[in-house]
Amino acid sequence: MTRLFDRVPESVFRILSFVVISFLLLLILFPLYFMLTTAFKFEGEIYSELTWLPREPTLSNFRDVIVNFHIPVYLRNTLIVALSTTAIVVVISVLAAYALTRLRFPGRAVMARGVLFVYLIPGSLMLIPMYLIIANLRLKDSYLGLIVANMSFSVPFCTWLMMGYLRSISSEIEEASLIDGCTRLLSLWYIVIPLSIPGIVTAMIFIFNNVWNEFIFALVLAQDERHRMISVGLSNFYRSDYYMVGPMMAGSLIAMTPVVILYILAQRYVVSGLAAGAVKG
Amino acid sequence: MSQKTLAQPLLVRPAKQKKRSLFAGDTRLGWLLVSPALLVVLGMVGYPFVEAIRISFTDRMVGRGPGEWVGLANYAYILGWPDFSEMVVRTVLIALTAVFLKTVVGLILAVALNQTFRGRNILRGVFMLPWILPTYIIVLVWRWIFDGQTGLLNQILVSWGVLSENYPFLARTESAIAALLFVLVWKGYPFYALTFLAGMQTISYDLYDAAKVDGAGRLGRFRHITLPGLRQVMGVVILLSTIWTMNSLEIPLLLTGGGPSNDTEVFPLLTYHLAMQNFRLGEGAALPIMMLPIIAILVLAVAGAMDKEAAQ
Repeated sequence: MTRLFDRVPESVFRILSFVVISFLLLLILFPLYFMLTTAFKFEGEIYSELTWLPREPTLSNFRDVIVNFHIPVYLRNTLIVALSTTAIVVVISVLAAYALTRLRFPGRAVMARGVLFVYLIPGSLMLIPMYLIIANLRLKDSYLGLIVANMSFSVPFCTWLMMGYLRSISSEIEEASLIDGCTRLLSLWYIVIPLSIPGIVTAMIFIFNNVWNEFIFALVLAQDERHRMISVGLSNFYRSDYYMVGPMMAGSLIAMTPVVILYILAQRYVVSGLAAGAVKG
Repeated sequence: MSQKTLAQPLLVRPAKQKKRSLFAGDTRLGWLLVSPALLVVLGMVGYPFVEAIRISFTDRMVGRGPGEWVGLANYAYILGWPDFSEMVVRTVLIALTAVFLKTVVGLILAVALNQTFRGRNILRGVFMLPWILPTYIIVLVWRWIFDGQTGLLNQILVSWGVLSENYPFLARTESAIAALLFVLVWKGYPFYALTFLAGMQTISYDLYDAAKVDGAGRLGRFRHITLPGLRQVMGVVILLSTIWTMNSLEIPLLLTGGGPSNDTEVFPLLTYHLAMQNFRLGEGAALPIMMLPIIAILVLAVAGAMDKEAAQ
């Protein structure tokens, strides 16, 4: 077997790689292709037969989700929660990550290690107490409740990510500025933060994506129509045995657009963040 | 004081004094900067964690006040539940199988992508799609594809003549488990592949050249250079992913909902069902706490297996 494998010439190996990549690529694109085409099909066509392209392309599914199913409201809710969470979390986490990587004070080492530990607590364990706490604070069906719940896992995650990034950039300029009489806070503002922009952008993208894509807390904490998140709104298209496939696909396309655009704009940053090995998958 | 004694400390201690002035005031500033994050972690992670333990000793139900202290009754209830051991085995098997498949497919893709060819960056971007797209969308689409009545897979297989009539993939035990594994792997392996690929690109070409000179074949180079070089990256990814896959609630909830007849009911899903459908918060809180040691054992086992692999 080993011998056989070694005797395969390089060109055959390349063809083999090509076949493997093509096969996996097809599997990736298969559901996405049908999501895209089905969104433009009439209901009758979706259920009756297999068509590779919409026979009569229609925007009726999009009109449906926008006019009849309150998708714009859900999108607005999700945007409010995602932007607020991102803004709050990034400030909190950058400050903490800076202190935990650059300052020397008692308790630092324990907290730095604790960040990772917190990150590993099972989500299912947090679900029930978080639900009760949010309910007791009368924050169910409110933006604030969703922001709080999302912060609970975003802050440790983002702090960890930023700690990794700060460790990767040299502290020489910063120390030089301190020797020249700059205060810690001034050097944080004028030196460390400008140097960390790629890391901060990566962290913000991850937080925004996590909140935008979050489903479980959104399902449990915001059942009210007016505060419903897009993830819950879309999953409602699958009610027991009645599937509204067309609107579901159209809504999915709308919901994933911001994520995809953000990702294309920031691919460079995301890849470097990925290399840091700090991403959930 | 003579000139000499005054000059000496200045000559000997400047380095230390510089350090002291650099880090003077760090303690106060450090705690000040950490405090918002600490508050969030203590208030929104630490406190709920303690609450989860406390609730697990009560008979608390949704909308019925704080509940009575019942000691270990919830734990006894779950342990005495006839399907408990089956559920644990199922959870562990599904998680381990999914992680194993993600690792294998991820490695294969990483090796295939670790060559220079045109369009590689675009391809890498496309392969990231499953990882960046919202999980709920991916699962809902696959659920429609696997659906027994109007699902796409049935339409395709019937129109190609592979099946004579629709097959309810999500309503049969084997195919439902297979579908769950498939979606877990589909969603997860690209992340593995891309981290492995990033790790492979840090391995020096000199090592491969030296191995070639020594007569090592392709498989030998993979086993003795690529795999050891990836050990650390693989270790972190596999460990974290084992934990996350075990705890995955969204995918089974949206894909199968635990069915058919509890055949895909994994522990996070059971927690959800106990708490959010039966409103039994006490039992719902006890279950993940009972699973903590199992998760710990699993993590140690995976770590041990990887150490053994490395020792060989």
